[in-house]
Amino acid sequence: MLVNKKKLAAMVDSASSQTPIEGRSQWQDAMVRFKQNKAALVSVFVLFAMITIAFIGPLLSQWDYETIDWALTGNAAEMGAPSIANGHFFGTDDLGRDLYARVLQGTQISLMVGIIGTVVAVLVGVLYGAVSGYFGGRIDNVMMRFVDILMSIPYMFILIILFVMFGRSVYILFIGLGLFSWMDMARIVRGQTLSLKHKEFIEAAVASGVSDFTIIVRHIVPNLLGIVVVYTSLMIPNLILLESFISFLGLGIQEPLTSWGALISDGAKTIQYGTLWQLAFPLGFFITGLFCFFFIGDGLRDAFDPKDR
Amino acid sequence: MFSFIIRRTFSSIPTILILILISFALMRLAPGSPFSSDRGLPPEVLANLEAKYGLNLPWFEQLYTYLKGIIFSFDFGPSFKYKDRSVNDILAQGFPVTLTYGLWSFFIAVAVGIPLGIAAAVRHNTKLDYLAVGFSIGAQVLPNFVMAPILVIIFTLWLNWLPGGGWNGGEWQYVIMPVIALSTSYMASIARITRSSMLEVLSANFIRTAKAKGLANSSIILNHALKPALLPVISYLGPAFVSMITGSVIIDIYFSTGGMGQFFVDAALNRDYSLLMGVTIVFGVMTILFNTIVDIAYAWLDPKIRL
Repeated sequence: MLVNKKKLAAMVDSASSQTPIEGRSQWQDAMVRFKQNKAALVSVFVLFAMITIAFIGPLLSQWDYETIDWALTGNAAEMGAPSIANGHFFGTDDLGRDLYARVLQGTQISLMVGIIGTVVAVLVGVLYGAVSGYFGGRIDNVMMRFVDILMSIPYMFILIILFVMFGRSVYILFIGLGLFSWMDMARIVRGQTLSLKHKEFIEAAVASGVSDFTIIVRHIVPNLLGIVVVYTSLMIPNLILLESFISFLGLGIQEPLTSWGALISDGAKTIQYGTLWQLAFPLGFFITGLFCFFFIGDGLRDAFDPKDR
Repeated sequence: MFSFIIRRTFSSIPTILILILISFALMRLAPGSPFSSDRGLPPEVLANLEAKYGLNLPWFEQLYTYLKGIIFSFDFGPSFKYKDRSVNDILAQGFPVTLTYGLWSFFIAVAVGIPLGIAAAVRHNTKLDYLAVGFSIGAQVLPNFVMAPILVIIFTLWLNWLPGGGWNGGEWQYVIMPVIALSTSYMASIARITRSSMLEVLSANFIRTAKAKGLANSSIILNHALKPALLPVISYLGPAFVSMITGSVIIDIYFSTGGMGQFFVDAALNRDYSLLMGVTIVFGVMTILFNTIVDIAYAWLDPKIRL
C-alpha cells in the first residue's frame, strides 16, 4: 500500500510544530478549582490582612497590651469607650488596659495556638495513621482500638487536669491541644494508607528492599498530602475553638497574655454595665477569623476532592 | 443483633477502666500534695491530713481502695476541699441540673436539626435550602460561649424577658437560654450532615426506581431514603455528645446553673483532685455508654456492621 508522502510529511510537520501538552498535576488542578471559589479566595485575603494587622498593628498604638491607663481605671464604663482622641481605638477593658493592643495580642496567640497545635496534631496523626495502616493486622487492630478509646473519653477534662497540674504556660497549651486532637487525622490517614499499600509502586519498593520506615516516609506520606492539607485546614479553626473554650473558662492562657476566648470571656462578664465594645471587638475578630478558616477549608476540600461537593 | 449488643456492651468495660486508670495516674503524678498549697501547714498536720485521706499509702493500695469504692458502692471518696462533703454529695447536687438542660439540648438539636436537613435536601436550591445552609454555616462560628453572652444581651438586657442566670429548681424561664446556647451549633451541624447525606441518597438509583414505580414523594423520603441518609448523622451523634458534655461546663459557669461544670472548674482551680476525678469519670462513663448506644443504633440501621 502506497503511503501518501505529502500527507505524511504534513502530518509530521504539524505534529512537530505543536508544543507537547503539559500534564497537570493534582496540585495544579486543585489550585485552579480553588481559585474559582470566591468565598475561599476572599477569605485568604481577609485572613492575610488579619495576620498582618495582628503583628504590625501594635506598632501603631501608643499603648501596649499590659499597661494600665490610670486616667481611666475604675471608670471604664464611662470613659473607656473607643475613641481616637486618647489613643484607645477599641476602648479599654475593665482594668483600663488598651483593648486594641489586647485584641491584636489575643489574635496573635489564637492564631499561633491554631497553627502550632495543628502542626503537632498533624505530625502525630499522619505518622500514627500511616504506621497503623501500613503494617495492618494485629498492630493495626491494637493501634486503632487505642484511638477509639481516646475518642470516646471527654479528653477536654483530662486536658484541663493536665493544665492544672503542670502549670499553664503557653507552650503546654500549644502542645497539649495538639496532642489531644490527632485522632481524627490518624483515622483518615490510616484509611488512605490501607488503599495505597497494595499499589504497584509500594510493591516495587518492598521488592527492592527499601526499609519499612523509608517506605512510609518517602512513598506513603507524600501521596497522602492532598487529604492531609484539607483536614489540616479544617483542624486549625477547631483548635482555635478549643483554646478559646479553655481560656473562656479561665483555665487556659494566663494574664497579662490573652487570647480570643479570654477576651470574649472578659467582655461577656461586663456586658451588664453597658461596655458592649469589650465584647464586640474580640467577637468580631473571632467570628471573622473562624469564618475565613472554615471557608478556606471548605474551598480546599472542594478543590482536592471535587466529587464530594 | 442480640449478640452484637452483648459484645458491644462488654467491650466498653475496658474503656471505662482505662479512663479511671488515666485519671488516677494523673492525680498521682501531680506534683505536691493537694494540701501543700494551703498556707504553709506544719509537716505533722500535713502528714495527718494525708493519712486521713489515705494519701500516705502505696499507690496500688490507693488504686485498689478507689476502684473498690467506685465499683461496689459507687463511692468517689471525700472531697479534698469541701471538708464536710463527699464527692458523691456534690455529684448528686450538680448532676440532675446538667442532665436536665443537657438532655433538652440534645433532644432539640436532633429534633430540629434532622427535619431541617431533610427539608433542605428535599427542597434543594430553594429559599428554604439557602436559609438552612446559611444557618448551618453561621452557627459554625457561634459555639456555646459566644451564644451565651449574645443571648443574655438580647433577652435579658434589651428585651428583659428572661433571667440572665440561676436555676431556680429548673423553671422553664431559667432553662431556655442554656438550652439554646448549648444546642445551636450542634443543631446546625446535624442539619448540615443530614442535608448532604440526604442529597446523596436522593440521587441514588434505588430512589429513581421508587419514583418510577410511582410512589408518593413522602413515602419515598420516609420509607426509602431516611434510613440510609441517617447513618452519617448517627455516627456524628457520638462526638456531638462528647462536645456537648464538655460545653455544659461553659453553660454552668456562664449561667450559674449550679451544674457539674461549675464544680469541675472550681475543683480545677482549687486542685481538688478527688472531685476532678469524680466529675471526669462520671462524664466519661456517660460518654462511653452513649457511644455504645450510638453503635448499637448504627448496627440496627446498617446490617453490614453487625458482624
